Amino acid sequence: MASARILVKRRKSIRNIRKITRTMELIATARFKKAMDRASEAAAYTRKINEIVADLAQSDLSFSHPLLQQPAEEQNVAVLVLTSNRGLCGGYNGGILRQALPRIRQFEQDGKHVSLEVSGKRGLSFMKFEGIPVDQSHTKFEDKPGFDEVNEIAARYVAGFVAGRLDRVDVAYQQYLSSSKQAPIIETLLPIGDLAGSAGIDEQANGAAIDYELLPSAEEILEELVPAAFKARFFKCFLDAAVGEQIARMVAMKSATENADEMIRDISQEYNRARQTQITSELAEIIGGAAALE
Amino acid sequence: MIAATELRLVLVTPETTLLDERVRSLQYPLYDGQMGVLPGRAPLVGRLGVGELRLEASDGRTQRFLVDGGFVQIKGSVVTLLTHQSMPVEQIDLAQAEADLAAALGDVPTSPEALEAKQQALQRARRMIALRR
Repeated sequence: MASARILVKRRKSIRNIRKITRTMELIATARFKKAMDRASEAAAYTRKINEIVADLAQSDLSFSHPLLQQPAEEQNVAVLVLTSNRGLCGGYNGGILRQALPRIRQFEQDGKHVSLEVSGKRGLSFMKFEGIPVDQSHTKFEDKPGFDEVNEIAARYVAGFVAGRLDRVDVAYQQYLSSSKQAPIIETLLPIGDLAGSAGIDEQANGAAIDYELLPSAEEILEELVPAAFKARFFKCFLDAAVGEQIARMVAMKSATENADEMIRDISQEYNRARQTQITSELAEIIGGAAALE
Repeated sequence: MIAATELRLVLVTPETTLLDERVRSLQYPLYDGQMGVLPGRAPLVGRLGVGELRLEASDGRTQRFLVDGGFVQIKGSVVTLLTHQSMPVEQIDLAQAEADLAAALGDVPTSPEALEAKQQALQRARRMIALRR
């Protein structure tokens, strides 16, 4: 049995680690709340955009926008991988990279030209390890992605797609389904397959159609609405990723704290036993010594 | 039917909902000029330009905001403005706008698209400066 002193030392170091993980859990919780608020505020914009799209869709328009059209040939593909800058968030980065890597390999196998864009230090070091060249990297997106910064990337993709330099844009990120469920996913954002999104159309179909006055015309509104819808979706990916990272860290740190608690309990028990044994043996020595003197 | 008296303005940017309140009237920039709305306006979907959103709140005070492109939707008594960027007029960064204007003026377009982009940037910067002053 280990000596009592060593056990005390170990218990102390585990207590220190527990303090750290507990604090990180609290920080992640606070950041999660903030990220969540931002995401839900931003959802209003996406919802409205979808509503307008659905309204316009009812007025029997033939949608034809370059962003909606499937290019004849998919030669140039852009893959954007959203990972975190920091670790200690459980399987968050691993899950996303597991989604992204097979897709990249698949594209390469098919002989396509892949331009890889990675956000987050974790993803960058993974790609370095795998020996996959990264064309663009970002490390500035933390838990509060700003629309202007995200918009820059989105505008670049839109311009590339319209000009024909890009035929497809895939984004790998942690999708937020509910506060207890998130899943790593890889989505094709361009060309936009289903513009209205399934929810928008269904809701609208129930209500009576409203006869809108369109200024200047449905076509010209669409021309601007389609990129706006794409940008809103693109921004949502970043917001989801920020929320997902904080949730993942929260969960990881919570279980780390619980593990530390358990270890402290076990070690305390062992320490008490060791201490008891030590006292018993000391007592036995004293009694033995006293008996020898008689 | 009694004339509608209610009008609610919702001002949304991609990041947040800036305003959600009852107003008496409002004016905002459409793609080709200013447009005013009073209660009881027929449904409308339109494209916004760059310029000033002026609203008369229910207590009679006037508020001014910058609106930078986007869309307007009027449905029932609710006016929704979806815009890329918006802020109270007092918060416009004049120095930044002037720098943008100088940058746009210095730009030499080589294609029709670039020319259009330049003109939009010029208009945007000029309107921002005009609003701030």
